[in-house]
Amino acid sequence: MIKLKTKLALFNLLSKLAFTALFLIFMSYIIERINLRQVDNNLIQKREQVLDLIARIGIDPFLTSDSTDAFGSYNILKEEFISLERVNMEEDWNYIEVTSRLIEDEEIAYRVLNYSFMVDGQKYLLEIGNSLTSILYAKRNITKVILVFLVFIIIITLLTDLQYNHYLLRPLDKIIKKLKGISSPSLFDKTPVRTNTSDFFSLDHALREMMEHIDELFQKEKEITINISHELLTPVSVLRSKLENLLLKEDIDPAISEKIEESLKTLHRLQSLVNSLLFIARIESHQYLREETIEVNVVLQEILNEISPIAEDKGVILKEEYIQDLRFKAANRSLFFSMLYNVVNNAVKFTPTGGEVIVKSLFQHGRYIVTISDTGRGMTHSQKSTLFSRFKSKINIGENSTGIGLAITKSIADFHNIEISVTSEPEKGTTFSFLFA
Amino acid sequence: MNVLIVEDEKGLANEIAAFLKAENLLCDMAYSGSEASEKIAINLYDFVLLDLGLPDYNGLDLIREARKNNSEASFIIITARGAVEDKVKGLNLGADDYLAKPFALIELLSRINAVARRKFNVINQVIQLGNFIMQTQSRKLLYEGREVELTKKEYDLLLYLVLNQNKVLTRLQLYEHIWGNILDDQYDSNFIDVHIKNLRKKLNAFAATPWLETVRGVGYRVSADQ
Repeated sequence: MIKLKTKLALFNLLSKLAFTALFLIFMSYIIERINLRQVDNNLIQKREQVLDLIARIGIDPFLTSDSTDAFGSYNILKEEFISLERVNMEEDWNYIEVTSRLIEDEEIAYRVLNYSFMVDGQKYLLEIGNSLTSILYAKRNITKVILVFLVFIIIITLLTDLQYNHYLLRPLDKIIKKLKGISSPSLFDKTPVRTNTSDFFSLDHALREMMEHIDELFQKEKEITINISHELLTPVSVLRSKLENLLLKEDIDPAISEKIEESLKTLHRLQSLVNSLLFIARIESHQYLREETIEVNVVLQEILNEISPIAEDKGVILKEEYIQDLRFKAANRSLFFSMLYNVVNNAVKFTPTGGEVIVKSLFQHGRYIVTISDTGRGMTHSQKSTLFSRFKSKINIGENSTGIGLAITKSIADFHNIEISVTSEPEKGTTFSFLFA
Repeated sequence: MNVLIVEDEKGLANEIAAFLKAENLLCDMAYSGSEASEKIAINLYDFVLLDLGLPDYNGLDLIREARKNNSEASFIIITARGAVEDKVKGLNLGADDYLAKPFALIELLSRINAVARRKFNVINQVIQLGNFIMQTQSRKLLYEGREVELTKKEYDLLLYLVLNQNKVLTRLQLYEHIWGNILDDQYDSNFIDVHIKNLRKKLNAFAATPWLETVRGVGYRVSADQ
């Protein structure tokens, strides 16, 4: 991906280069045209001079005896030449062309004027040539000067373009920065970006309005969740107290006690479901603080201490490999504990007797990772895909569980900017990896 | 002890009262904040169980008022809101404890007792269990002078059963008390069974524990009279 600033600068550079190239080609053509026109005028002038001369002194002095019927002369630097010869032809010539002549073993490009005329019934051909070498030199020099000038201009404008682009796009940079650093619309910086570019102003304005709107909706949704949860918890509370009081009656039939206890368990499921939803809503609306510093391995050790009696009882081997520790700043300890506890507890739950659960913590490719692997029953692809969704989980986690535990784990991980990845193979086991930012 | 129950949900207030009365506590009830405010101003209570979600009153103001009137009452906040800041605010205002709805009545009673023990400075309790002796201050269980090594969880579990002796505690109540820091969602009745099993194993190495009973289908009980 390329930044807009760079793209604009690149486009400017390329367009300037193309323009310069075109300009140079055009200029050299123009220079050549002008020069040739000048040479041609020069040649015509010279022809008039020669014809004047011939008119004055006759043709004979040009045609010396030894060379019988031709005359030729060029100056020592071979810049010009003039030749006159007798010809026998019908048509009249009067044109100027570019042609090369071999003079003393040297091929030189000339602009040559060919002119035929009659003197005393005899046709003569007059050729006056002007070397193009000087013109070419001139052209090259002028081109060079222009080129240097243009390169200079390009560099200057490129630098100013870069500066100006940077200045111009600063509001956009600010908007992007505002968007980048946030994980939820509630964290969006609502102070307007200062700009007098109407496009950026509308973009910023639209974004702010949208964020505010989304944030409002989110807040409303969370408030509704929280309110509904409270409304639900009150009747649950009444029912629970009633059942508990019943259970305390001395003369109660044991079979009825058992039924009451079952009802309490069912009620507890409702309670934990509501509490879990409440919990997630609270995490997502950032009602918890992140201001504790924790040592990850200490927390892991605590979790393993809690769970090891259960694992032992079940005959699941709990292994720990704390290779490296991390002092994790800006954490909420009890949320962090719950996040990992859920996964370790599930791993033990889903691993049959004789199986293993391995908890590892280490740095890998510069990132701190906690992995929890089990040799349990694993998951199919479709089970894995719904793993973190509330209620949609396709895994039967047991009668007491609401199946929302992993959704909680996910929201706590998001809250701490921790990434979770899961690899699993049916009948082989599952590995949860927590990748710290 | 004298308890004022401030709770707008009458059904719940009545159940709490019935339960506490059975525990020989004197209960008074206020179904609204203004009623509670009046009662606190007139009467002396040892405890106020305060629901923060009163329709007519900010529950926290009741604590402020009571403190202004130099009331000695200990406040236990009960709320379904459970928001962290409420908890912090309440405790900062001098509330003694905090319970989120729905709670076990047994848990409420233990909180009241715990606050009472702190208040009357009876932290060092020595409890006799057959030939075992539980020392609450040093958190030790002794058998004829020898210490029985228990994990923290095992000790807490036993203590909770002992402090609520002669009452059947359900696995759920035990779980909530011991693993209160962990989510409800992870509740597994097996947790309690495993710990009780381990606890029994350790105790039985010293002596039989007929006082630690399993109540089929319901939970566990420590009986004092055996």
